[in-house]
Amino acid sequence: MNNMNVPLITLRSISKEFPGVCALSDVSLDLYSGEIHCIVGENGAGKSTLMKILSGAYSPTSGQIVLNNEIYDELDPETAQNLGIQIVYQENDLVHSMNAVENIFIGREKTKKLGFVDKKSMYSEAKKIMQEFDIEIDLSVKIENMSVSDQQFVKILKALVNNSRLLILDEPTSMFNIEDSTKVLELVKKIANQGISVVYISHFLQEVLDIADRITVLRDGVVVKTYEEVKNITMGDLTLHMVGRPIDKFYQRDKIKISEEKRLEVCDLKLNKNSPEVNFFVKKGEIVGIYGLVGSGRTEIVRTISGADRFYSGTIKVDGVSVNINSPKDGIAVGIAHITEDRQQLGLNLCHSVLENLLIVKLQQMRKSLLYDYKKQGSRVQSIIDKLKIRTPNLLQKVIYLSGGNQQKVVLGKWLITDAQIYIFDEPTRGIDINAKYEFYEYMTELVKQGKSVIMISSDMPEIISMSDRVLVVRDGSIKDEFTQDEINEQNIVCSALGVAI
Amino acid sequence: MRKAKAILNDQRILLAIVILLMVIIVGTISPKFVQLSNIMAIFQQVSVLGVLTMCMSLLIISGGIDLSLGNMMALSAVVVASLLMQGKSLLLAVTAGVLTSTVCGLFNGLIITTFQTIPLIITLGTGQIFNGISLLIAGGSFLQFENKLNFLREIKLFNYIPLMVAIMLLCVGFMGVLVNKTKFGRRVVAIGGNEKNAYLSGINVKLYKIIAYTLSGAMVSIAGLILASRLNSITANAGSGYELDAMVACVMGGVTLDGGRGTIIGAFLGCLLTGVISNALDILGVHAYVKIIITGAIIVTAVVLSNISSLKRE
Repeated sequence: MNNMNVPLITLRSISKEFPGVCALSDVSLDLYSGEIHCIVGENGAGKSTLMKILSGAYSPTSGQIVLNNEIYDELDPETAQNLGIQIVYQENDLVHSMNAVENIFIGREKTKKLGFVDKKSMYSEAKKIMQEFDIEIDLSVKIENMSVSDQQFVKILKALVNNSRLLILDEPTSMFNIEDSTKVLELVKKIANQGISVVYISHFLQEVLDIADRITVLRDGVVVKTYEEVKNITMGDLTLHMVGRPIDKFYQRDKIKISEEKRLEVCDLKLNKNSPEVNFFVKKGEIVGIYGLVGSGRTEIVRTISGADRFYSGTIKVDGVSVNINSPKDGIAVGIAHITEDRQQLGLNLCHSVLENLLIVKLQQMRKSLLYDYKKQGSRVQSIIDKLKIRTPNLLQKVIYLSGGNQQKVVLGKWLITDAQIYIFDEPTRGIDINAKYEFYEYMTELVKQGKSVIMISSDMPEIISMSDRVLVVRDGSIKDEFTQDEINEQNIVCSALGVAI
Repeated sequence: MRKAKAILNDQRILLAIVILLMVIIVGTISPKFVQLSNIMAIFQQVSVLGVLTMCMSLLIISGGIDLSLGNMMALSAVVVASLLMQGKSLLLAVTAGVLTSTVCGLFNGLIITTFQTIPLIITLGTGQIFNGISLLIAGGSFLQFENKLNFLREIKLFNYIPLMVAIMLLCVGFMGVLVNKTKFGRRVVAIGGNEKNAYLSGINVKLYKIIAYTLSGAMVSIAGLILASRLNSITANAGSGYELDAMVACVMGGVTLDGGRGTIIGAFLGCLLTGVISNALDILGVHAYVKIIITGAIIVTAVVLSNISSLKRE
């Protein structure tokens, strides 16, 4: 590490608020040239938000970014890039129909006279950087014909040709096998050795301990600790700091007696030919929480149960009888309600009325008649609206005008009307305010009191812990651990999700 | 084996094989089909569509589309014709025609980028506007301009190639070089392939889109001139339907509607295929109504076939 005295970039008291949520509060961070600074934290701890502020994709609610003795209240993508801040996003941001070298130089093409692209000099410059950092890929291959790991190298190359001074890598190895990950890690070390500052976000704690010069732990949008030295840290230390929330973060739920009858059984479920088998069950009156990191395969599992996706093999039993679920229609017929992850895309018709949205599932079950007048169905939904306290001026209000919490209530409402027996909630309270959250917890408790069953996927650790009777942890597409009663605590769940020995 | 597969996956080669097969089969049945004069006639028949396909492919590759091209072409030709009829010089008339469609293209580009609207619907609307203006000028009648555009047909390069065919081939070459070899073209491909990424890479996405629409507009006037020359007259409605044919030619040629993919040569071969089919069916003496059915069926087959390769890609 050189230039240890003067930070390249300083973040001063950065806060970022989204409607109803505080994603970051008072985060301060120094980044030095030539260091690898790792940032760890659970889902939703604020890592990506922080990076997006640094790269100019978001502007902070308050706080400052200091670079080159200049103080910025916010950055935009262009300014950030001109200042040498390059970010390699997790999601794919390449043009698939173009080859590697063209992707590397998009927006910075080298040209000869008359605007003709100078492929030769782009190749030679890319080759030069590849040699410098010992990267080996075939530059003439189209992105769509490349392996995922080669695509990752293209993205990193794209960042490097633009004279980067700070390189942000967001989960660069999340889709790789060990061999490819090692290559990426070697590359990251070389980049830092060239004096470039690297910010590295990863869920793989071993990886982090291997390459980090310093580590910052985020939790619920706050810096918990920055380790100036990584020599004597263990993965246990890191997870301890990632968890450990104060008691008032947890909701106190009425526990009720769970029946011994199994309502839903999932046996040897394989999503595709090579995926691991999944086995679990849910009893009557039970809330089963499913926790896993983003990309662990939790959503995929429940999507097959409700019929949204097909599966390769296995059986699903409802009340002891094995059922065939090949489409959402089949799932609804056996009483499965799926409150999907993304309410705006998957859960609602945003430009339709509250009434229509509430009745869309029920409609299939009602007596068939040729003509149908929505406006006469008000009485059917009024009780649900009252019960869920959906705040809407009238039944014909378009749901796009409702707040996030009320929209989510409409999604729940449309399933309550169908009188389903099994409720699958995927991230039920994401992006809604604390009061609406607590209301949701009450509805869920109410459902299990009636003897119904609930499966709840959540990245919100306090939510998982306070609501679940049992917690299943998903990693790499299979259920790795099951925790009940006293075992349900942050340390156990996080360690299991990260694959760290407890 | 793998190489053979890669070749078959290339839309251009697939189309070239189909065209070649048709030429061989139809040529065996009716030798007249492969005579040089008939081949030139095919090229002449597709010259209007060929130029329009170039405009359309640039826009589709950029992630957009322009369904007003047909009416835009007619408007440009109507302007040229009415000026010629008033006894104005050819140079003035052509300049006015080029300006007209260029402004039309710019108009489309500005509306689409400024209001972030869906090009498909917007250009349907602007196409109506262009059509209405043509009707106002032409008044619903045939505009005859005393053979003043005949030179496009009659001048023959090397005694064989009509000027209009040469111009069309020039347009194809120009567009091919523009899209493949220039910074502008590659950026347009990048925008069509992944607009968000192009924006984050510092490309002025809006500006490039506006330029693409304007450029396509300018080129449309060339198609208008060729059309007027071929018909030796023009009506306000002469261009309707051409935009859909151009779209079909693009898709057959592997220029997919989601943008960023496909080649200019492919689009041109797609256009040539429609000409070959139409001419072959005529020569074989297929009944006009049956011809329409067969043409439709071949288009459907070609598009389904090209989609199979993209299904595999996923």
